[in-house]
Amino acid sequence: MPILIKGLDVHKRYVMSKDNYVDALQGASVEVEEGEMVAVMGPSGSGKSTLLHILGCLDSLNAGEVWLGGRRVDDLNGRDLTQLRRNDVGFIFQTFNLVSSLNALENVTLAAQYAGKGRRDAQEAARQALDRVGLADRQRHRPSELSGGQQQRVAVARALVNGPKVIFGDEPTGNLDSTSSDEIVTMMHEINHGTGTTFVLVTHDPGVAEACDRVVHMLDGRVTDPG
Amino acid sequence: MQILRNVFRRKLRVFLTIFGITIGVLALVVMGSMAEKINLLVSGGTRYYSDKVTVAADGSAGMFSISPLSLTKYDDIKAVPGVAEVSGQIGTLLSTESGASFGMPAMIGGSDMRGDELESFKVTYSDGRALTPADVGSVVVGSDLVKQLGAEVGGYVTVRDERFEVVGILDKTLTAPDTSVWMTLPDAQRLFVQDLPEMIRSQIDETDLVTSFVVYPTPGTDPEQLAALINESVDGVEATGPSAFQEQIANTTQVFNMILYGIAIISLIVGGLSVINTMTMSVSERTREIGVRKAIGASDGQIVRQFLAEAGVIGFIGGISGLAIGWIAATAVNAALESSNLNLFLVTPRLAIGAVVFAVVLGLLSGLYPSLHAARMKPVDALRYE
Repeated sequence: MPILIKGLDVHKRYVMSKDNYVDALQGASVEVEEGEMVAVMGPSGSGKSTLLHILGCLDSLNAGEVWLGGRRVDDLNGRDLTQLRRNDVGFIFQTFNLVSSLNALENVTLAAQYAGKGRRDAQEAARQALDRVGLADRQRHRPSELSGGQQQRVAVARALVNGPKVIFGDEPTGNLDSTSSDEIVTMMHEINHGTGTTFVLVTHDPGVAEACDRVVHMLDGRVTDPG
Repeated sequence: MQILRNVFRRKLRVFLTIFGITIGVLALVVMGSMAEKINLLVSGGTRYYSDKVTVAADGSAGMFSISPLSLTKYDDIKAVPGVAEVSGQIGTLLSTESGASFGMPAMIGGSDMRGDELESFKVTYSDGRALTPADVGSVVVGSDLVKQLGAEVGGYVTVRDERFEVVGILDKTLTAPDTSVWMTLPDAQRLFVQDLPEMIRSQIDETDLVTSFVVYPTPGTDPEQLAALINESVDGVEATGPSAFQEQIANTTQVFNMILYGIAIISLIVGGLSVINTMTMSVSERTREIGVRKAIGASDGQIVRQFLAEAGVIGFIGGISGLAIGWIAATAVNAALESSNLNLFLVTPRLAIGAVVFAVVLGLLSGLYPSLHAARMKPVDALRYE
């Protein structure tokens, strides 16, 4: 399978003040093939989430290169990055990060509308995505009226709605009980197999790692084992 | 709908902000309607005086003189080159009881009606007809005084304890004639003299009295130059042209207007600051949401538009409620003061629309900084925000 994502010698330094900084990434390199489901593991502070954010174009890097689908993306301008986030990547977060004032359907519709779909088309796409994650009967519920597992399903539907090449998950099961975790992992696995959508999941959860094709290990801002 | 839901997420805070704008717009509407009323009064005056010369007794208060002047000056003034016609006039307060008054006091106007055909300031009648010099004992009533005097055409009204038959009622002019009662010169002379102290009364001939002359220039004569010429050639009078009204009245009311609008604008700025405060808080509370929106594909422009729309809605609601309360207040005060014919406020369409537009623009401007700030955040920074 061709390489979908490539991080090459990525460096990231967080500067808090003049003499106070953290080198979160110190030359991390990683490759992910199209259709793969990859777990990224490592102790806290090893730079997993930072790498994920940089690969997913939510954060900038200080040195190195990031390629997505054969295109270099670490030097794109704001407009191109927005296009990329709309069409090519999806995100799932540990704390679900749904917009609390919008119901499930509206949350998913929002992503489709940002991608340029008209209201009606966006709603239809959102309905299909919610149906796919098994929440067809919870469309009108606000996040506060949904369980953690259900909220994360909405987040998956939102990540899925524009048919991205890759979905990045930052501890997607970190806030869920084991039953909900299993359900989410199974669901992501099914989506991965069914649609060929690539998954890159930062996790502490061995259950997640087990479901993945490969586990990338990190330590001190570097990839120590590409799996 | 989503905008409204977001706006009212923090009900108390948004209510207070909207209330701030409401107060500001209320001040703008109330102060502005007062200024509009005065503006119309003044512009009516400017129009009236624009093509004529007013002659009053020398050393008197100028064009609004109530000092007596002898009718014998008529011939002297008429003889001045450039004078087409001269009209003797009496102007005196409707009520002899003095009291503090705001705006235009109700007046009695008497005229010999010479030169009426030269008058460019045409009045129309909602009922009845114009006075003629033969109508001694009759009056025409200005629209604002109809209720107070209980006037109807064919009926009688009491002016300074005398009964007069009403022959006409004026259409609303939104300027001085609205608060005036018009009568023939002899009637006005009698009322004017009655009010003078006994000692003076015994020494004068009431049929010889006027308080001013209105001088109509011949076509092509400049009223300012004519005024200068009259001052030169007639003793004991003071003639003024159109610019005197500008200088005496229009300019002072302009200052007054600026003060009124100034107060209103200040209160609106305070309202605007509270919108900035609310939007800034709303943005910082929702920083994570902004991060999420950007992560799922919102552009900077879309984030700005979302928050601007919310700020604009706050401004709009505040503007509409301020206008509504202001309009109710102005109408209520006008109604309460009607018996004393004090029509203080006039909410004009341009003021109403202007106030709401101003509130919306204020909301948008106030929302601009927080919106731009929100939009420029890096998604990951916004997401990390606690």
